[in-house]
Amino acid sequence: MPPSPETVIEFRNVNKRFGATTAVDNVTFTVAAGETISLLGPSGCGKTTTLRLISGFEDPDEGTIEIAGESMVGKRPYERNVGLLFQHYALFPHMTVAENVAYGLKHRHWPKAEIGDRVRDMLRLVQLQGFESRRPGQMSGGQQQRVALARVLATRPRLVLLDEPLSALDAKLREELRLELKQILTAVGSTTIVVTHDQDEAMSLADRIVIMNRGRIEQQGTPDEIYMAPRSAFVAAFIGRTNWFHGRISSAPSDGYFRLTTEAGTTLAIRDPGAVGDDKRSICIRPERIELVGAESAAGKSGDNVLPGQVVDVVNMGAELHYIINAADGRIMIVEPNREGARVRKGDGVKLQFRAEDCVVLPQDAA
Amino acid sequence: MNGRLLDNGFRLLGLVMIGVILCFLLTPIIVTTVMAFDARAYLGPLPPPALSLRWFAQFFSDDYFLRGLSTSVQLAVLSVTISLCVGVTTAFAVERASFAGKEMLISLFLSPLLVPPVVTGFALLLFLSHLGLINGFARLLCGHIIITVPYTIRATLAGLAGIDRSLTEAALILGATERRAFWDVTLPLARTSIVSGAIFAFAVSMDDVAVSIMLTDANTFTLPVALISSMRANFDLSIAAASVMLMLVTLTLIVILEKFVGLNRVIGQGVFRS
Repeated sequence: MPPSPETVIEFRNVNKRFGATTAVDNVTFTVAAGETISLLGPSGCGKTTTLRLISGFEDPDEGTIEIAGESMVGKRPYERNVGLLFQHYALFPHMTVAENVAYGLKHRHWPKAEIGDRVRDMLRLVQLQGFESRRPGQMSGGQQQRVALARVLATRPRLVLLDEPLSALDAKLREELRLELKQILTAVGSTTIVVTHDQDEAMSLADRIVIMNRGRIEQQGTPDEIYMAPRSAFVAAFIGRTNWFHGRISSAPSDGYFRLTTEAGTTLAIRDPGAVGDDKRSICIRPERIELVGAESAAGKSGDNVLPGQVVDVVNMGAELHYIINAADGRIMIVEPNREGARVRKGDGVKLQFRAEDCVVLPQDAA
Repeated sequence: MNGRLLDNGFRLLGLVMIGVILCFLLTPIIVTTVMAFDARAYLGPLPPPALSLRWFAQFFSDDYFLRGLSTSVQLAVLSVTISLCVGVTTAFAVERASFAGKEMLISLFLSPLLVPPVVTGFALLLFLSHLGLINGFARLLCGHIIITVPYTIRATLAGLAGIDRSLTEAALILGATERRAFWDVTLPLARTSIVSGAIFAFAVSMDDVAVSIMLTDANTFTLPVALISSMRANFDLSIAAASVMLMLVTLTLIVILEKFVGLNRVIGQGVFRS
């Protein structure tokens, strides 16, 4: 679904401090109607605080939060029409499934008959027909999660917040429910913010990802942008697996490429290193962008980097093969689809090849 | 080998201790119960040659005991009702607030549990006489509220502590005001604890001697006080009959409590899952 330009929520320069720690540090972002964004980051990065600021459980120290153009300053949680799916569902244990789903509608003073219809529709949406009179305690984790989702969506909130929606489930169920969750959210066309520390969850659910670290936004963009063009070492390291080279820009561009000489003396061809003060750079190259070529294979065209190395380990992950290679600059990981089993063995001498275009050049920072 | 022998020894010792404690706790109760049904008019050796309900009949024909019983029941019902209101609201307010000295305040609320009841009773007697409050029932009511409030506060606090904060937050974000969230979510989930606190408070009020004996007057006295003074005057086995009935009341309360707690096991699963 194409996101319409209408802004549902706007965060402008929001700050929130708890004592000496700044939980949310000058955060600015917007979410358009129908869009799903993900707040992604390690624990303590401020994503949960951001969620609580939107819900109204915390108030910002500075900055403004607007939902549908309306300032949320001083608004109580029950005045916001925002839906929140809690990490551990927070279903009312003393109420039945139907009573749980109807709870928000009751407080919006819907007529009884309409509440009944809506509850039935919602339970059909999450495929829990016939569970109306069960209690949450008698249901599995996955079922409870669906009830919680039905309860959130029943009131047609302007904005749906999901707090680590799948983290309480085991791995297999998580994958199933992730797809289902996405389908349901798309079906109702909700505007959604998913808070998670799990990159798979963020990549698969969100149209756009906002990466947070220590209260600040590190980068926002589509999953592709975040993965292919990380703008900081933190983002590169947090999303996916990464191989690193650290060194200095050693020469002016020739044949369209810059050259970087690493601490171990390897010279790599790279694209534009960007205009940062010094000449120190870090290179990030994704494991699936490196090709394993035979030891005797000659260097390719200019812009191809070829490094010698020795196989330390080959791990068969089923769908993928992981090669761990010892090179002059340390361990390098290569991932390739498992077509006909491992091509090399532990101890073999090999060559690695990757293109300058696939190298992400980042300024060297403390991280 | 030696270690295992020692382990077995300890296990045996544990079993023996359990047996000893059971005997110690149960023997007086059994003896009292048997004596309450003794048909003899005097205190003879056990077991009694014949059983009868004469002591129960005597208890219920004794105006002195009946007045004590009636006062005790009225007092227990009234003081538990008041201390429930006080205890639940206090516990709720304290639990939600966060301020320096919160723990101290809670300890202060629970202090009647630590102060010897005789001291509480005596202090209250002096204090109330200074105030000019000489009505026996009012004095007893004050005393009983003081000794029962810690039970209702503590039980409610325990109940509130078991409620996941996110449940209240879920109610709020779904559109309930804080008052509604209290009635819809907090109170029903804390109900078991509150009921158990009330039952404890009731038992404490029914059983109390030390505080009550200080605050009774010639016309208003509780059943335990009546039992003690009649025992000093002329000892007969209607006291045993009264004890049996008090035990029955307690037993009934325990059954009710168990039913509530049992219910909670079904309802409460979601709360404690994490």
